[in-house]
Amino acid sequence: MTTTAVTSKIGIRDVRKVFQVRDGGEPFVALDGVDLDVREGEFLALVGPSGCGKSTLLDLVAGLTAPTAGEIVIDGAPVTGPGLDRGIVFQQYALFPWRTAQANVEFGLEAKAVPRRERRERARHYLDLVGLTGFEERYPHELSGGMRQRVAIARSLAFDPDVLLMDEPFAALDAQTRESLQEELLRIWDKTGKTIIFITHGIDEAVYLGQRVAVMTSRPGTIKEVVEVAFDSRAGDLRADPAFGEYRHHVWTLLRDEVAAAQVLERKAATARG
Amino acid sequence: MADQRSAPATGTALSEREPQELPTAIDRYEAPDGAAAPAGPVGAADLVEPAVAGEPAIAEESVVAGEPAVAPARRPSALARRARRVASRAATKSGAILLLLAAWEVLPRIGVFDRVFVPPLSEDLVVWYGLLLDGPLPEHLQASLIRSLSGFGLAIALAIPLGLLIGWYRPVADALTPLLEVFRNTSPVALLPVFTLILGIGETSKITFVLYACSWPILLNTVSGVKTVEPLLIRSARSMGLGPVRLFQKVILPAAVPAIFTGVRLAGAYSILVLLFAEMVGAKAGLGYLILDTQSSFRIPEMYAGIITISALGLLFNLLLLRIERRFSTWRTT
Repeated sequence: MTTTAVTSKIGIRDVRKVFQVRDGGEPFVALDGVDLDVREGEFLALVGPSGCGKSTLLDLVAGLTAPTAGEIVIDGAPVTGPGLDRGIVFQQYALFPWRTAQANVEFGLEAKAVPRRERRERARHYLDLVGLTGFEERYPHELSGGMRQRVAIARSLAFDPDVLLMDEPFAALDAQTRESLQEELLRIWDKTGKTIIFITHGIDEAVYLGQRVAVMTSRPGTIKEVVEVAFDSRAGDLRADPAFGEYRHHVWTLLRDEVAAAQVLERKAATARG
Repeated sequence: MADQRSAPATGTALSEREPQELPTAIDRYEAPDGAAAPAGPVGAADLVEPAVAGEPAIAEESVVAGEPAVAPARRPSALARRARRVASRAATKSGAILLLLAAWEVLPRIGVFDRVFVPPLSEDLVVWYGLLLDGPLPEHLQASLIRSLSGFGLAIALAIPLGLLIGWYRPVADALTPLLEVFRNTSPVALLPVFTLILGIGETSKITFVLYACSWPILLNTVSGVKTVEPLLIRSARSMGLGPVRLFQKVILPAAVPAIFTGVRLAGAYSILVLLFAEMVGAKAGLGYLILDTQSSFRIPEMYAGIITISALGLLFNLLLLRIERRFSTWRTT
């Protein structure tokens, strides 16, 4: 609606990431020449073959590691470290097992020095948003996988970051739970207007969730193509829509060669080791 | 002679077990009064079943007889089932102990053991009671308790912070690990003469000895607790902008609490074990002294009174520490 809706929120500029290998081996080039702009309020899905550096890219945006070359800017300012303007949701939930659901959601708020009373209210609000009212006092081990991931999402939303970074968050869940969480994530995104980068290795998931799907190459990872995904209507069974099938096929074609290349790389690494 | 033989045995128990291994052994102890009980000794329960079989039948009868017309057939049977379950569990839990006590009572009486060396349990208990009421037992108990609690307390105060430090700073851990391994694998009991030489035979030497022995399990468990914190949790906390200090306070420390407590509980057992030994070697009071002294002056029932006291004390201590541990780690899944 406004012109700011199309401005760049996250800018990834010619980013390269090299890991030094111990025992003096060849340096490991994870990412090379990655260029990507994520718009304000956008839902961007990122797919790529395994080992292509998707998670490394997410770590860089999160500020957990620094790029070897290039830069990452958020709202025009370079990323220098982790911060509460970005929230991460991990595949393995990363909930603190000694804290209840409520206390887990409060964690980020404590880091932000929000007063206790407000912390409690906000935690309850976000647990409610992800449909976990009544489970506030449960410990993570008392919750199912899907519920734990809901808590993790609530935790990331609670400190109100502009950007949500999601690293294969639904990969460990069963198919039904995954679908219902996908739907809910879209609802939450719609409601909160966050900018989301969603990493997945599922083509269906990427096409279903993303407004755009960025496809990465095999290692060293770079952006192969960004596919715009737009449906006339999302009502009904979107996955049965012929347009869905076309997008899916397109992304699949883009990925196929990369997956083959990644497998060759993996085999080479395995024989080198053996 | 007997005491000398027991010494190396204590030594091995202290030094050879891995800190990781012991917790499991002790966790199994939780089964009797904890929630984990049903998962525990299934085989044992099966074994005891026939012996108890008579009991539920009686319970059922008496319930039916008590309220013949009113009670529907189902209720008493459900009650009886519950009674049977409780009885069978109680029998499973106490069976072996009761058997030991019965053997202690009966075998000397029928002449399997010499009554002079192994008096029947009842005689020992009578003597124990006498010693407790107007004998030296309270005095010895107090002496032992002060020593072991002081050593144990000092070990907690010293080893936990040190362990946190070592575990947190990897270079420190790398530098100290070989040294720690050397000490860990040297039985504290072997070092007792050194303590005596340096600190004399007074209280200082004994308390320091207990402190030393108790420090290892606490230290090593704390170090491993800190080092084995799930890296993903650290990443997650760091992504929320936590600095090193708050990361330590809010993630590392709470994550390490169960491991620390395991160490503390082990140390609790050690504090009594090694003190006893120290008291046998050179002391004028304390339970270890009582046991050795009564043995050498042939007051055998009094010796057993001392042993019973030690055993009860050890059990009580462990139970207490278990309670505390459980309060602090309700979130633990296992």
